[in-house]
Amino acid sequence: MRWKIRLPASNCCRRNDLLMARPVRARRRFSKDRMNAATFPARLSGIRIRPVTGGLVAAFVLVLLVLLPGRALAHAALMATDPADGAVLTQSPARFSLTFSEPVSPLVLTLVRPNGTQLALTYFRLDGQTLAIDNPETLKSGTHVLSWRVISQDGHPVRGSALFSIGAPSAAPVAGETADRSLREAIWIGKLLLYAGLFLGVGGAFSLAWLAEHRRCGRRFVIGALLCGLAAAPFSLGLQGLDALGAPLARFAQPLIWKTALETSFGWTVLVALIALGLALLSLAGSSVSRKPLALAGLVGVGAALAASGHASAAEPQWLTRPLVFLHGTAIAFWTGALAPLGLALRHQPAEAKVFLRRFSRAILPVVAVLAISGIVLAIIQVREPAALINTAYGRLLLLKLALLLFLFTLASVNRWTLTAPAEAGDTEVQRRLVRSIGIETLIALAIFGVAAGWRFTPPPRALAIAAAQPASIHIHTLKAMADLSISPGHAGQVAASMVIMTGDFGPLEAKQVTLVLSKPDSGIEPIKRPATKPGDGTWRVDDLVIPIPGRWNARLDILVSDFEMVKIEAPIEIRSE
Amino acid sequence: MKKYLLAMGAVLALGTNAALAHVTLERQEAAAGSTYKAVLRVPHGCEGKATTSVRVQIPEGIISVKPMPKPGWTVQTKQGRYEKSYQLYGETLTTGVKEVDWSGGNLPDEFYDEFVFRASLAADLPAGQMLYFPVVQECGDAADRWIEIPAAGQDEDALENPAPGIKLLPKK
Repeated sequence: MRWKIRLPASNCCRRNDLLMARPVRARRRFSKDRMNAATFPARLSGIRIRPVTGGLVAAFVLVLLVLLPGRALAHAALMATDPADGAVLTQSPARFSLTFSEPVSPLVLTLVRPNGTQLALTYFRLDGQTLAIDNPETLKSGTHVLSWRVISQDGHPVRGSALFSIGAPSAAPVAGETADRSLREAIWIGKLLLYAGLFLGVGGAFSLAWLAEHRRCGRRFVIGALLCGLAAAPFSLGLQGLDALGAPLARFAQPLIWKTALETSFGWTVLVALIALGLALLSLAGSSVSRKPLALAGLVGVGAALAASGHASAAEPQWLTRPLVFLHGTAIAFWTGALAPLGLALRHQPAEAKVFLRRFSRAILPVVAVLAISGIVLAIIQVREPAALINTAYGRLLLLKLALLLFLFTLASVNRWTLTAPAEAGDTEVQRRLVRSIGIETLIALAIFGVAAGWRFTPPPRALAIAAAQPASIHIHTLKAMADLSISPGHAGQVAASMVIMTGDFGPLEAKQVTLVLSKPDSGIEPIKRPATKPGDGTWRVDDLVIPIPGRWNARLDILVSDFEMVKIEAPIEIRSE
Repeated sequence: MKKYLLAMGAVLALGTNAALAHVTLERQEAAAGSTYKAVLRVPHGCEGKATTSVRVQIPEGIISVKPMPKPGWTVQTKQGRYEKSYQLYGETLTTGVKEVDWSGGNLPDEFYDEFVFRASLAADLPAGQMLYFPVVQECGDAADRWIEIPAAGQDEDALENPAPGIKLLPKK
């Protein structure tokens, strides 16, 4: 079995069918032959790979296929809690439940007692999207806080809390929040180093294997970047575990931290990144036969690692975002990875670097096109509307990144269209300028990695919009009747209300008429009273409802059971601000 | 300013008897075991529309109901089984009128009218408590439902559409 890989690069296959047929070993001779223009296209357009390395490529494709289908959606959002937020219970509940918009993995569940002491809730089970938690003790009267932290399918932790009271409400206890600044800084550094390892290291190894004529220059730099990435990958994984559990840095070594981290989608990223880094390192050490396929597999791994987790990969539609992240990451690695080896080669061995420079400058245009198009589409998906560029932290980071990119593209264009030709021709002054310029490009690229790593802490406008669209839901339960009321979106403004009503013992309740009354006595606004309609799907609906201000509203349902009997049930509902 | 004064005057004039705006019974107390002439007072239509039917539900303990016919209106009763049997003039009653409907009439919003029925109060009705007669006032396709019964401890004035009721007095 022989494997054959064809690159779609536009600068390669023009001729040399003859050379394509040659065995790889025979071609080593040509690589020494510096200015043989025929050599390079031949080497890119048709290589034969041994089954072992081919297997590795196949493994990557497999990993990719496993990762692609439906692993991640959006951030999970809390749909309902039992006891409901703000509920006053007569006695201690036996269990609590949290229902999310998608299945989640629970991380930390804590009950804060009225006196501020915390009780870890360790017995829980997952039933679809509902998390049922056993209450280990009889709660005393007063207001309790059920604090939860779960991992949503995109790998990011989501947290929140629900207040409920036994007997009568008391002052809400204060739960200690663990916003660890040093942990955030460590996460950012870890991410930046991982990016450096993947893009500069793996990308560098690829450029050495595929573009460079003389592979010594930049080799040490690339090895350094790879080792840096190899160290940063597990480090980042541990930090992800700490962040997911809300644990301090001191707990870094605990097995639970690592187990948690591995269960998140970032675990996949680290796993694939480690493989990619390892393959790139092998390609540097490998023989002339295995060098190229190993480096290529490494490069593919970079894209796969990035596509496995993160905001952009988790966005819908998945069939589009994941391949785009893959392409984006691969293109970044190709471009930025080549910079350092190219610069170093130009500086130390200008004569031999000319081939490297020519190959790079030929390949770079389509690569940058892929990079730009995938980046633009992903940005549109994430930001949704131009105003979010300024309104949200995510958008501002994107603007900063765009500004850096503008600078980078300007430099790169000058290099490509002004300096490359004279440098290739052997103009030493221009070569020196090019080296300097490439050095600056590398630094800007690092700065861009730093900005991109900052996205770890900012939910994209897309996710914010999903969160804002989440309904406000309550469950009202009385002896005579019960109802699930959901106001969507759950914030002030134009909303629609949906109600499902049942008898107090979960039987069907055939109401003749249902009226929704929303009141907020402290606001001075008259109650909003709207008859509900029955669209026929078992729910009652009130469309075109406007809730003028956010806050705690009282929702009352007037359920006309028969001509002469009306059941009124009510409960508070929290309406968010827009 | 004039508007406010008018409104204040209206509140002072009407406030003492908020029931003016509701469907109410003329006599609001009766002794257990007595005969009671119920006069339902309908002060207005449903949000300006003319009243076309008045239906009253007869509570448990009110027996031997006979509505008074009313020119221009069709009177109907709905019979039903009592929750228990009652003794009246040596007879044992287990079924009787559970609902009285006056329909097919036309009472414009700007006119007032009364709907009358006669009934007996069972002898064992608990004195001191309230007994409510939920009323549905229909005006074509609109309706006002005077069917709200205050929960224990709830102020009747807090209800938007209270059912008319009587206070039960001790048996004479």
